[in-house]
Amino acid sequence: MAMIVCHGPKGGAGTTFIAAHLATGLAEAGADVTVLTVSPRDTLALHFGLQPALSLPSMTAPVNEAVVAGGINLRHYRRAPVDPDFIPMLRDLGYLAPGAHRVLVLDVPAGEQAFGRRAITHACAHVCPLNAAPDTLALLPAMFGEAGEAGLARTAFVVNALDETRRLSRHGAAFIRELTGPRLIGRVRLDEAVPEAIAMLQPLARYAPASAALADVRLVAAAMVPALDNNVSDAWIAPAAVSRAA
Amino acid sequence: MRIDARNLLNRLGKNEFSYKEFEDRFTDLELWPILEALLRDPRLQTLDQVNAPAAQAVQDTRASDEQPLGALFSRYEHETNGAALRQGTPRHGDRQPGQDVRAMLRHLSELGARGEI
Repeated sequence: MAMIVCHGPKGGAGTTFIAAHLATGLAEAGADVTVLTVSPRDTLALHFGLQPALSLPSMTAPVNEAVVAGGINLRHYRRAPVDPDFIPMLRDLGYLAPGAHRVLVLDVPAGEQAFGRRAITHACAHVCPLNAAPDTLALLPAMFGEAGEAGLARTAFVVNALDETRRLSRHGAAFIRELTGPRLIGRVRLDEAVPEAIAMLQPLARYAPASAALADVRLVAAAMVPALDNNVSDAWIAPAAVSRAA
Repeated sequence: MRIDARNLLNRLGKNEFSYKEFEDRFTDLELWPILEALLRDPRLQTLDQVNAPAAQAVQDTRASDEQPLGALFSRYEHETNGAALRQGTPRHGDRQPGQDVRAMLRHLSELGARGEI
């Protein structure tokens, strides 16, 4: 059992999109996956083609209240950032140990930096979605300074919603590529199919199986599979072939 | 994705669409002031230090012209008022006079031309 934290320095980077498709990819790889969002206003269910009015059950809700989409258990726990028993609860549930059989993908909004950093210290890996936009780049020094070396030791970066037709976007992505080096595990291209799938109340894979973003995010998920066997106290970095491809 | 685009991709037997025609020549690159400002920030080197052991392994399999971010910082400092910045902040990487942030952009341009970024 393992936990992967999805958390970025700036809202709007598509953290929930990445978390949802990371969960899908890990489930397709054979894991029993739960996605837990701690956002007070989450959109997780929309990425699975579910109705916007659907309210996800709490982490502590009984099994008969579970919402399962695509074989993935969707939960919320909005009190997590202020609940001192949250991490002990995850430990009791077995999510703070390596193992690819059962996986918890934790979707943490950008505004919950302190909670995000605390959760990352207990995770086998941290996925950090970034937009290649200058305002996002401007936040990286603060993020790196707050996280420190230990806080970045298991971090993998993903450039999301990359518009390669825009020069500044390409330059921003190139900057991230140079900055993060082997820790960049993927680039997900901007794709109108992503919001269209939400608008159609369909999973992206059903609405647009040829979606460029879908192909890209599947590679991201595949890159994270080896991280599930990483010890929580150990650094983790994606295999060199993954970072070269990114 | 629009239905006509999807039909075209299906007809072409493609399962994805990517832009390949937007390479940047060095002469077209601008020195974005925000990148220059960020490169001055020593906190960005945190990741360079975390990556150091892994970067060594990766370098063995990469093209020899790729350089760690620390080298870019060092070059930038050398060209600008780096004396004050150098004090108290450990750096690694070779210092090469005559290179600056534009060298980084040139390097990025070359990577782009080779389709590696």
